[in-house]
Amino acid sequence: MKKAVASFLTAALLLAACGGGGGSSSSSTDNQGTGSPGSGTASSGSDKAPVTLRVAWWGGQSRHDYTLKVIELYKQKNPHVQIETEYASFDDYWKKLAPQAAANGLPDVFQMDYSYLSQYGGRGQLEDLGPYTKNGTINVQDINENTLSGGRIDGKLLAMNLGSNALGPTVDPQILQDAGITLKQDWTFADLDDIGAKLKAKGKLIASDLRHDVYFPYYLRSQGQHMYAADGTSLGYTDDKYFIDYYTMYQRWYDNGYFLPLDKLAQKKGTPEDDEMVLGNAAISFSWSNQYILAASTAKRPLDIVPLAQWNQNKPLFLKPSMFFSIAKSSKVKEEAAKFIDFFINDIDANKIIMGERGVPVSGKVKEALKPLLTPDQVKVFDYVSWVEQNSSQIDPPNPVGAVEVDKLLKDIAEQILYKKLTVEQGAAKFRQEANAILAKNKK
Amino acid sequence: MPADAPRLHFVSDEIGRGAGPGPRHGGESNVKLRDNDHVVGYVFAAPFILGFLIFTLYPIFSSLYYSFTDYNLFESPRWVGFDNFEKMFTADDKYWKSVSVTLTYVLASVPFRLAFALAVAMMLNKAFTGIGLYRSAYYLPSLIGGSVAVSIMWTQVFGDHGLVNSALALIGIHTDTSWIGNPSTALWTLIALSVWQFGSSMLIFLAGLKNIPNSYFEAASVDGANAIHRFFKITLPLLSPIILFNLIMQTISAFMTFTPAYIISRGEGGPLDNTLLYSLYLYRRAFQFYEMGYASAMAWVMLLVIAVIALVLFKTSKYWVHYEAKGER
Amino acid sequence: MAAGKTMHAPASGVRAERRARAFSAKPIVYHVLVGGLALVMIYPILWLIASSLKPNDEIFANAYSLIPSRFAWENYVTGWRGFAGNTFATFFQNSLLISVVSTIGAVASSALVAYAFARIPFAGKGFWFSCMMMTMMLPHDVTIIPQYVLFAKLNWLSTFKPVIVPQFFAVPFFIFLIMQFIRTIPVELDEAAKIDGCSKYGIFFRVVMPLIVPALITATIFSFYWRWDDFINPLLYLNKPELYPVSLALKLFLDGESLNNWGGMFAMATLSLVPILIVFLFFQRYIVEGISTSGLKG
Repeated sequence: MKKAVASFLTAALLLAACGGGGGSSSSSTDNQGTGSPGSGTASSGSDKAPVTLRVAWWGGQSRHDYTLKVIELYKQKNPHVQIETEYASFDDYWKKLAPQAAANGLPDVFQMDYSYLSQYGGRGQLEDLGPYTKNGTINVQDINENTLSGGRIDGKLLAMNLGSNALGPTVDPQILQDAGITLKQDWTFADLDDIGAKLKAKGKLIASDLRHDVYFPYYLRSQGQHMYAADGTSLGYTDDKYFIDYYTMYQRWYDNGYFLPLDKLAQKKGTPEDDEMVLGNAAISFSWSNQYILAASTAKRPLDIVPLAQWNQNKPLFLKPSMFFSIAKSSKVKEEAAKFIDFFINDIDANKIIMGERGVPVSGKVKEALKPLLTPDQVKVFDYVSWVEQNSSQIDPPNPVGAVEVDKLLKDIAEQILYKKLTVEQGAAKFRQEANAILAKNKK
Repeated sequence: MPADAPRLHFVSDEIGRGAGPGPRHGGESNVKLRDNDHVVGYVFAAPFILGFLIFTLYPIFSSLYYSFTDYNLFESPRWVGFDNFEKMFTADDKYWKSVSVTLTYVLASVPFRLAFALAVAMMLNKAFTGIGLYRSAYYLPSLIGGSVAVSIMWTQVFGDHGLVNSALALIGIHTDTSWIGNPSTALWTLIALSVWQFGSSMLIFLAGLKNIPNSYFEAASVDGANAIHRFFKITLPLLSPIILFNLIMQTISAFMTFTPAYIISRGEGGPLDNTLLYSLYLYRRAFQFYEMGYASAMAWVMLLVIAVIALVLFKTSKYWVHYEAKGER
Repeated sequence: MAAGKTMHAPASGVRAERRARAFSAKPIVYHVLVGGLALVMIYPILWLIASSLKPNDEIFANAYSLIPSRFAWENYVTGWRGFAGNTFATFFQNSLLISVVSTIGAVASSALVAYAFARIPFAGKGFWFSCMMMTMMLPHDVTIIPQYVLFAKLNWLSTFKPVIVPQFFAVPFFIFLIMQFIRTIPVELDEAAKIDGCSKYGIFFRVVMPLIVPALITATIFSFYWRWDDFINPLLYLNKPELYPVSLALKLFLDGESLNNWGGMFAMATLSLVPILIVFLFFQRYIVEGISTSGLKG
């Protein structure tokens, strides 16, 4: 026994001396050659020098699977390109990206979100895509400028929109009908009082909740105001009455029991199956247009997507880029990265695989090509987004640095109001004071 | 040959400080290098020392440096002196909230965990076929770690239509409170989760109990000691180094708890920040607000607090910890 | 009960035996209490396993019942498929590699260092001990950035090295654990060995090591399980999906924006418990047998 232990330890020490661990050779952003000469078309050719591209995205299992298929397709058309993929769920993705940024090792092509655009873009991490669109490497001829503008900071295009989204509640028409409710075409938030009462009489809720960081800014837009000032150093509205009006309404709906009680809301997983509307307890799910498809397939009964309340006041609706692809400024293969992005948004075969999972395609040509292949639910979404395009105004500029903190602050204060720890007026003042303190750090 | 004299073998205090510098090497021709305590000591301690110097020193110093800077990961850190600390202590409500939540959590979960772990370890300190299964059953919860599966499960147990409420209904208490969602009870579901996963401390106690030679108990019974005497006079003292270990380690890990809070509150620390443990708040500042400087400042404050507590535990341990290695105090 | 095998019957067993001879209710009470509590302890895990066998839409709709309406074995099939060509076979292999190699390194190196701290008075010991405690007390989140930069400079990204190699340089938790066990061994043993001509090295291998087997076993169990469950380090350093361990792969199943294969995830989570359970079951026996070498009194 003792001898065995001794030799075991010696073996272990020897292993340690050899440095342990296997695994393939390290990846690096160094490529073994330059990319193919800049041109707009994807060409195949075994005479090209090999290129290694790192592509990263977040998502769930289904997105990982189909994205890898798209990458396979790209590799078929471009045999000299090796693609290394990195993917994770949303939260893990950002935790992973942070150290990579600190070590100057961001992936060549990586998915970007609107809420992080300022953080990364405003701090020199993202490559300007403008030159690539101008020289045709990334073809944007079939793309509406409004759709592109979401990815601009200070006029520079730092992120390419992968799909458009719009706010569009999903409703269960059956529940509405049973409660004797007909939604007016241009309904407003004020109508929720009446709707809520009728639904409550039938034992149903309006919805789980209204996400504070999405719908309060939306409300502001409907009143001609904005959440953030254009220079990002303070809130965009100066009169607290907007906060007070909105949250007085919200508190009324909550106290009357039209929304889910907070403690039950806290135990939700945040997935489609868990939504009150999908479960049949509520009439509406206030969500984005791309979540409609998920809800419909989970609920397994006919649902509908309708324009969000007060869409007719000051055109508060907007087309939001659901997500982007950006190129790391530190990338050594930017040319190839740009070609990949171009492939992703413009190639018809690729998009036949993607099928709008990342949002309604930005290229008009692609939308046309996909139309005959769409399921009825997908058609509803495409149509809705087209309608929004006609009935919206430009999206607010990307959230400034510190917005993540402000969003959290808003949610906290709203919670305190609903738990009756603060009055609405106190909440309004507290929010203004603390949000401005956070945003003031952006003053140069 | 003073270096090898038995008298110098003892550890002069619990923190393990060596007894004096010892004789200088090379003075005596018959002191073999391999017998020189300092050399041998460094040979054995080499793995840690090397690893520390290579892998840990740089990160530790970096984080200390960051705590005095404003660092957003993208641009170079900008020196701000004590600003982070000042803001933390005077201008950040959430900071103090997280401190109070964490203290509550530590003070409640550590004693419960240790008590359960010791009690169960004693219960499972038997040898019959099938004991392995019982031990596995008690250890299993800590094996399951902190995956998403755990958070879902825990909601199933403590949610409004969960197991706990069903069990309460069986004895006539009808409630549909969501223990997890209710601000006043949410932290207790976390504490329950921590206590449920006491398996690791139990295992260590079990190993410690096994180390107590049976002859001691036999001798004591022969002398007329009953079970209670045996527990207090034999088990506890001989187990005391292990108890100290578990106490310190559990306290440290309780202060640094992150995963259960993260997965159960989905990173929010709610409801009403009642599950905002210190590490969760730190994580948020580091990876969601990209304020690595501030987060590093928080980390170092935490380290100082834990170090002080550990020091106190060590110093007071000499009043109740008994080391078999005679001469050790 | 273990009547007659007094050599192995520990303290409370002796006590229980005495009373067991007096009236035979004690074993029953024992099993009811201990067994009952055990069931309560594992209920949530039974729920997990049951959910892995339920069809997806039933898992939450029918959450109370531990009995699935039908055994949805297909969860295991769809779950096993993994992602894009990497089945869970790959993920399990990676997890095994990481856990086994790391554990060997961690336990071996930690034992060496523990001996130094517990038994050898060398210059600077207190300082190094404090350093060791300090590394345990610093929250991990603030060191991962500099650590990442370090490993990037060493060109170790996308390999197993950052995950495994540091384990070979001792793990503070295990050092401390083994230290405390070593300190339960009377110094007279060391001295006796020295009189017999043993050097410090000899004392380590021949006297100390055999006596701290329970501690080593415990450390082994912990190390294996910690490495198995660790997903932060794989997340940061193992960028290629074919290097992913199970812990990371499980996290890839879920995403708020897509339809989740809950059944598949629970199935793989259940499977993931199996190796650590086996390791535990196998090794915990040796904690018992460790006592047979402590017959050194007299």
